[in-house]
Amino acid sequence: MSKHEQTAGIDDTAPGDPESEQQGVAAGVRNYLVGLLLAAAFTAASFWVASGTGLIFVPGVPMALAALAIGQMGVHLAFFLHITTGSDNTNNALALAFGVLIVGIVIAGSLWIMYHLNMNMMAPTNMLDMRAQP
Amino acid sequence: MGKLTWSAIPFDQPIPLITSIILIISILGILAWITARGHWTYLWREWFTSVDHKRIGIMYCILALVMLIRGFADAIMMRGQQAVALHSQGYLVAEHFDQIFSAHGTIMIFFVAMTFMIGLMNFVVPLQLGVRDVAFPTFNSTSFWLTATAVLLVNISLFIGEFAQTGWLVYPPLSELRYSPGVGVDYYLWAIQISGIGTLLTGVNFVTTILKIRAPGMTLTRMPIFCWTALAASLLIVAAFPILTATLGMLLLDRYLGFHFFTTDFGGNPMMYVNLIWAWGHPEVYILILPAFGVFSEVFSTFSGKPLFGYRSMIIATMAICILSFLVWLHHFFTMGAGANVNGFFGIMTMIIAVPTGVKIFNWLFTMWGGRVRFQVPMLWSIAFIVTFVIGGMTGVLLAVPPADFVLHNSLFLVAHFHNVVIGGVLFGAFAGYTYWFPKAFGFKLDERFGKAAFWFWVVGFYVAFMPLYVLGLKGMTRRMQHYDVPAWQPWLIVAAVGAGLILCGIACQVVQLVVSIRNREQLRDLTGDPWDGRTLEWITGSPPPPFNFAVLPNVVAEEAYWDIKQIALESRRLTDLPEYKSIEMPRNSPTGFVVAFFAVLTGFALIWQIWWMVIIGLIGAFGTFVVFAWRDHSEYKLSATELKRIDGERRKARVALVEGKEQGITAVKYKGPRAHGSKQAAVTAQPDGGFKGPASKRIVTGYGFWIFLLSDFILFAGFYAAYAVLSHATAGGPAPKNLFDLKTVAIETACLLLSSFTCGMATLASSARNLRWTQIGYLITGALGVVFLTLEFTEFARMIGHGAGPGRSAFLSAFFALVGLHGLHVSIGLLWLGTMMAQFWAKGFRADIVRRALCFGLFWHALDIIWVGIFTNVYLLGTSP
Repeated sequence: MSKHEQTAGIDDTAPGDPESEQQGVAAGVRNYLVGLLLAAAFTAASFWVASGTGLIFVPGVPMALAALAIGQMGVHLAFFLHITTGSDNTNNALALAFGVLIVGIVIAGSLWIMYHLNMNMMAPTNMLDMRAQP
Repeated sequence: MGKLTWSAIPFDQPIPLITSIILIISILGILAWITARGHWTYLWREWFTSVDHKRIGIMYCILALVMLIRGFADAIMMRGQQAVALHSQGYLVAEHFDQIFSAHGTIMIFFVAMTFMIGLMNFVVPLQLGVRDVAFPTFNSTSFWLTATAVLLVNISLFIGEFAQTGWLVYPPLSELRYSPGVGVDYYLWAIQISGIGTLLTGVNFVTTILKIRAPGMTLTRMPIFCWTALAASLLIVAAFPILTATLGMLLLDRYLGFHFFTTDFGGNPMMYVNLIWAWGHPEVYILILPAFGVFSEVFSTFSGKPLFGYRSMIIATMAICILSFLVWLHHFFTMGAGANVNGFFGIMTMIIAVPTGVKIFNWLFTMWGGRVRFQVPMLWSIAFIVTFVIGGMTGVLLAVPPADFVLHNSLFLVAHFHNVVIGGVLFGAFAGYTYWFPKAFGFKLDERFGKAAFWFWVVGFYVAFMPLYVLGLKGMTRRMQHYDVPAWQPWLIVAAVGAGLILCGIACQVVQLVVSIRNREQLRDLTGDPWDGRTLEWITGSPPPPFNFAVLPNVVAEEAYWDIKQIALESRRLTDLPEYKSIEMPRNSPTGFVVAFFAVLTGFALIWQIWWMVIIGLIGAFGTFVVFAWRDHSEYKLSATELKRIDGERRKARVALVEGKEQGITAVKYKGPRAHGSKQAAVTAQPDGGFKGPASKRIVTGYGFWIFLLSDFILFAGFYAAYAVLSHATAGGPAPKNLFDLKTVAIETACLLLSSFTCGMATLASSARNLRWTQIGYLITGALGVVFLTLEFTEFARMIGHGAGPGRSAFLSAFFALVGLHGLHVSIGLLWLGTMMAQFWAKGFRADIVRRALCFGLFWHALDIIWVGIFTNVYLLGTSP
């Protein structure tokens, strides 16, 4: 199956299709293999960091985990989903950027809002102890 | 039959009983009439199974108009009740009154405003883009029928059982099982979930259509503004609706399976519901208003005889609103207590979003400035919109000031404000669009006199009905009051009831207008296809357009594609040269949408009444319908070039009168003033198509559509993830992550998923090399690894539940089971999909549509990995790390 069923289309790639058309099976296998190895490496690193190596400053562990997770997601996007920064992939990448933006807003916004709400409204000790009220 | 007994029918309540009996009799009457006239075959072939975007759009609009009457009946009952309920119970008991205001809000937002806007988008967008259909015609039909399913369920609640008494957003803890044990909330939840799926599919469909399927030369900056606003609204649907699905899903888990997301015990947090529902709810407001802005843009430009002022600033404003609408949701709950800095941020963001809206208002005013304004009905609605919407917008900015909101929150001032923007904006826009595109849809115009009468009744009625509510709000009257004991309020409430009566006259005029117009259709006939001297591509084709819209896709060389073609034709007094006709393929009609909706009604109803065997039948039926659909061999029919030439010849014949200047009001007078956006001649000659060569290939369209759907899936997970992040410390004295999770299992699960992604990639490679055996082997291993993953996960779940750490133990465990379980559900669905796909490969080989679906499956399977990375990092590793 060639990338384009009809060539009349705009110069875009379908998400999930590798970019260059002349890629053979061998190159494809290599791509997936590299992706698998990288992903496995990231996963192993994450588990290793989480098991408390002592190599990483303990309060920095969540940061390290987040960085590793984002890195691994990038590997999956690039090697498995073939979402790249290539010019024929702009539309796909833009859609992804929009999605990531919304995911970020929903999670970060919820955490920020709920943190403050919980601080102000859900502190039972302060609520019960009238002397603690201003 | 689950919870369903005869006591579900309200024999003791005369109002709903009589209403539903009248309703049932009139529906039976209509059905009998259709049977007697023998229209069933016609309806089934031409409408119910139609995948034509125009037919679907028309059905959406009809549904919305019918629901408008239903929602208005609720409204006038409430106004009547409040006009008399001083020191008395009025004529509506509290339970019934509560159901009425809940149903009114639900119906008006979901089934009138949204349905109408989606209907207009369906009808207009492909025509304006100069193409023949949307990206996924059968899904489009499914979307419509799922909306109809939800409408049916909500209306069934009138007769069987009850509707929610909790307000249209069913806030917990009131909507939790403990305080609302009846089926009312369940009716609401399942209806909205089902229509939500339909709406999401519509969003995916239109994003894909607008970005990938346009006429040659229709670059993004040549698209009509309505298409831009439809794009923005669709993006908002794709981004916001998953949050609604997630939130309502959590409430359903609370109600059905004893989870503790929003309960008041075991660490549940009702404030989280309010937060999440408005993270959907505010973008929803813009899903409604943006298409209406698009309608007004088309109307102002057409009826002023001028190009739209500030075309590009309009695009920027639309897209700015699209993003900003996601940053203001807290203004719906300033008073919940988030504190000064959070309230301050969202207050300021809310004021900022008024800026692009203001830009739009000025653009419309400047479009009229210096133009030849024709005060026909669509233009009247648009002018009334500007005045009304500006008032509503200003009270909105007032409410955006947190200290002012503390005074006005939950009062009738707020009720007046949002009716001010939703009626003045969305509904007026719907009516303007209805009048404007009616001749395109049916081939004749609507009666002008009754249209104007309806307009004046509506506008005057609106002001009489809602201005008193501002006063009442300032006087301290809260919303949703069944009775009250402040005599000073009553006069204002009586005035408001009179206003509702005036609106009733307006609706009556609209009904009469429709009847009169159908009767006088020969005098009102639109012969040329361009009754308003239009500027966009829908007016180049006939009225009503042929099923294929355009015999030959128009070539777009500048903004206002049709206007330029028309001017050239008018100046030279001849049509463009006869094009070269080529045979085309059009999608065949399919009953898929209708049948799926039938099973959805079954499933929804059974879920509400907890009739589990019926749920299973419904789900299997719906899935089976899609398998049958995916299996069919002929999805398209062919139209020959000679046939196209014949049909198009008739259109061209009708056009001659227009070109020769015989048609009233249409002359070759070009606007002489400064052009807001000149067609840059030099650029046009250098690259006439602007770099856009026409609709993309099916593979790209399918892949892109599925990619957009996947993004919405990510956002669904984001909703559940946000809940987990907020609730993960709410262990309510139960087990914490540290002493629950077994990292060894998680590691094996992860290894399974990673390997299966690799084998899935191998299968994809084998299928592009057309090697059937290795394709199947690759998929088989993928599936087997998926099964291992699921088995491990279920074992882990069973172990936890066995140790008393089930989802009912604490909010943390609820969130954990829901998030990880949702991923597991995705894997299960993936396996089901994989099975059918392998069967298809086996039976049909490498047929193009199956290969396209395999591309989507690959995306889906790899995306599940990405989600799993998020889960194992944030849930398991972060939960157990030091």
